[in-house]
Amino acid sequence: MNLKTGLLITAFILLAAFSIQAQDCKLSIRGKIIHLENNEPIEAAYVWIVEAEEGAVSDQNGNFTVKNLCLGTYTLTIQYIGHKTITDTVNLESNNYSKTYRLEDEALELSGVEIHGHRDAVQTTSSVSALYGENLLESRGENLGESLKRISGVSTFSTGNSIAKPVIHGMHSNRIMIMNNGIRLEGQQWGAEHAPEIDPFLADEITVVKGAETVRYGPEAMGGVILVNPAPLPTNKFRKTSLNLIGGTNGRMGNINVVHAGGSEKIKGFGYRIQGSAKRSGNIKSPDYFQDNTGVSELNLSTSLGYSTSKLGVEAYYSLFHSELGILNDSHTGNLSDLENIIENGRPFGDGEFTYDIVNPKQRVTHHLAKLKSHYHISESWKVNFQYGFQLNHRQEFDKRRGDLNEKASLDLELFTNTLDLYVNHTHKNELSGTWGLNLIQQANSNVPGTGVTPLIPNYDMVNVGMYAMEKYSKGPLEVEAGVRFDFRNVNTARYINQELQTADLNYQNFSAFLGGLYHISPDLTFNSNLGSAWRPPNVNELFSEGLHHGAAAVEIGDPDLKSEKSLKWINELQYDGNKTHLEFTAYLNPIQDYIYLNPTGETYVSLRGTFNVYEYLQANAFFYGFDFAGSYEFTDKISGYLKGAIVQAKNTEEDNYLPFIPSNRLDWGVSYDFAKATDSRTNKLTLSNVLVAKQSREPDFDIAPAPPAYALFNLAYNRQLTVGENKLNLGLQVQNLFNTNYKDYMNRFRYFTYDMGRNVLLKINYEF
Amino acid sequence: MNTKNKLYLIAFAFVSFAMASCSSEDPVPENDGEVITDVTLMFQEIDASGNAVGSPVEFTASDAEGIEVGGAPTIETVMLAKGKTYEMSIEVYNSIENENITEEIQEEGDEHQFYFLGSAFTSSPFLSYTYDDEGTELIGLKGIVSVQQSPGFSTAEMRVILRHDLDKNFPGADNPNFTDYAQAGGESDLDITFPVVVE
Repeated sequence: MNLKTGLLITAFILLAAFSIQAQDCKLSIRGKIIHLENNEPIEAAYVWIVEAEEGAVSDQNGNFTVKNLCLGTYTLTIQYIGHKTITDTVNLESNNYSKTYRLEDEALELSGVEIHGHRDAVQTTSSVSALYGENLLESRGENLGESLKRISGVSTFSTGNSIAKPVIHGMHSNRIMIMNNGIRLEGQQWGAEHAPEIDPFLADEITVVKGAETVRYGPEAMGGVILVNPAPLPTNKFRKTSLNLIGGTNGRMGNINVVHAGGSEKIKGFGYRIQGSAKRSGNIKSPDYFQDNTGVSELNLSTSLGYSTSKLGVEAYYSLFHSELGILNDSHTGNLSDLENIIENGRPFGDGEFTYDIVNPKQRVTHHLAKLKSHYHISESWKVNFQYGFQLNHRQEFDKRRGDLNEKASLDLELFTNTLDLYVNHTHKNELSGTWGLNLIQQANSNVPGTGVTPLIPNYDMVNVGMYAMEKYSKGPLEVEAGVRFDFRNVNTARYINQELQTADLNYQNFSAFLGGLYHISPDLTFNSNLGSAWRPPNVNELFSEGLHHGAAAVEIGDPDLKSEKSLKWINELQYDGNKTHLEFTAYLNPIQDYIYLNPTGETYVSLRGTFNVYEYLQANAFFYGFDFAGSYEFTDKISGYLKGAIVQAKNTEEDNYLPFIPSNRLDWGVSYDFAKATDSRTNKLTLSNVLVAKQSREPDFDIAPAPPAYALFNLAYNRQLTVGENKLNLGLQVQNLFNTNYKDYMNRFRYFTYDMGRNVLLKINYEF
Repeated sequence: MNTKNKLYLIAFAFVSFAMASCSSEDPVPENDGEVITDVTLMFQEIDASGNAVGSPVEFTASDAEGIEVGGAPTIETVMLAKGKTYEMSIEVYNSIENENITEEIQEEGDEHQFYFLGSAFTSSPFLSYTYDDEGTELIGLKGIVSVQQSPGFSTAEMRVILRHDLDKNFPGADNPNFTDYAQAGGESDLDITFPVVVE
């Protein structure tokens, strides 16, 4: 062998070795880091591969990836403040390595250790989207429904501009559920003009679960669940105050919110928070006129106290929501002929003027919610939980009436609700975790006497007992979850109709179940699928309504023989989280048996007051399906864009016609320019966005007015974060409906009476100190 | 007893108290105060100088159940004589509460106004109406109705509408036969169509 050959062979071997090495050094270790005690993902945990001297930090979902590793055995350490460090030996043979790591709390005795507050996130294989951080900050000042429109697949069913109910995949009111810090919000959600009694300011994160979640949350969580969650309470020495000041030109709106949270130095694990907000706005302006009597006055409060050690957690919480809001004057019609007149006119008869005064018709709502929650870790893997909630909802609706009656509410309801949850969580290192529980709801609804109007719904007592169990198995990139639940409900009603006492005693029961899975196809790509059954007993208004509904000039007649609605929702989501690209695609099928709907009988009822349409509650099988998507992309360091959209189809399959008030197709896109230097993490961004809403072509057979035409709105937002000393100052300037476009939305019941809100310029200041 | 147990005991006591104190009130029958059950049109014939001639005649529309679903209202046919002039006064009554609403309407005269529509006043009208209320407000609780000497028809309809919360200064709102009454805003408290026969 001469030198030449030798060199050649050496070169070949080297090349081969290099290429082999190159090929095998593209492996990666992926994983997910969660809290052992509650499965909540851990963000910003530090992962270190000792041999490779490579590291990674987990993202907000707890996921991490260490790339460009070669074949071999590695030592992996995971560290997170206040938690025991995990050391694991990884034998890396293929590119499929993925594992879930559960970090355990360190004992509190360790001085100077920061421990996280005890907070339960949703751990579901359903599709979940959340509003937090910058997006939540941008939505401040809006009501819950309006805020949630930022999430694809969520829209609103509104009554004017101040009453907006969130709609998830075409469902709202009693078909979805709202959780106020873990307690199911129990107000008078049956009414189309009854907004959720909750202040979005109490939350630092609002999460939307788009799947059926009856097993976890109880009856009525058919279309989805909205979780309005405050930040975890501090558990160490801490002090922070956040102030929001918001002003809007349209309605001359002013809104203030203060949150103060603190943790005690003396008593370890003791923390508190107090929050209050006030809002005042006057008559809203459509592009060409003021909408008379559309002012809002709100005063909200929430407070919590918490104490936690490594084994015990106790939290007391109270929230108050108080709102008084005016109902557009001309929407209050005396009879069918009035209604037809204003629909033909397409807008209120007068041009209105600006005032902060709120007169009849108006609503006054007060909602108290108090809760006590506690958990105790019996052992490393078992935890018992207790949660009790008390709610009092007082709703008064005032109509335009003659004489002294004008001072009296014509609807005056007091609703008491007690909820009790007892459940056990278990989490094991062997990848199995679960929850078994008992849920008790007790409710009492009373009409406050003296309204001078026969009550629309009777007084009633309701008791609901539910038992459930869920188990989840996680192994590497796969999570599989299943659960079952049984519910029993008794409703006892009483009322007087024409001086005669009418009572009813009704029982409902149902068995529900779900099966779901989540698979990390690659570090960037996740697929999840969830099939869940859900049910909803008929509501008292659907059973017993009998009377005139003013705004709609309609007589509504209930049916006490209605059966429970039963549904099956299959939801699938594909999620891609790349470097510059983020994509989410959700598709669902949702057949419903015995869907309850308000059907126009085609008959009219004649009285001295005039004529009214007559509607009755009927049941039929229905089928909902659709998809929604959201994506964003960074074109350059400076320019990024986003696109969101949703399509919902909903049919009565027995009559083969479309259901009323289902959102039409919508698309929302925007482009942002980032002024901030690459080294500066503070926001300095200008965003132009455009909302496109199609005409609802899938109209029901009967509607008092045809669907309004399609519309396009442009919005402009500039957000900037500044630092004042060590404190953060966020400034936002937003122009909504930039071109002052006249439009009507199909999902707004007041499209019959008026154009929507015109241009609105908002200034939002947030200061944290 | 340690603190933990005490805490659970307090929680338990709190829960049982709240659970026990929470049941619905017994319902109370509610009388519909807003409802109008009887509307009476009283016609008093008057002569050229405005003096009453003979005794008045009454025609009533009534709906004992008010706004409830069920019975339709009974509406009497208004019978008037050709070429005669009447003073028409309207009486509004709630028989459920035994309350005379006429006075309330008079008191809230700035918010209420009657309009008189229907074939009796349009195309070839055989009735004409002018407000003749006490005080300055045009309400329509009192008015002068003249029947034509030789009308083209003998039967027609008179639609009596009571508007509430309207803009009385709206152009045309002072016309008792204002067909575009809706333009002045407000809502209808009454909307009754009486058959009219002239002989």
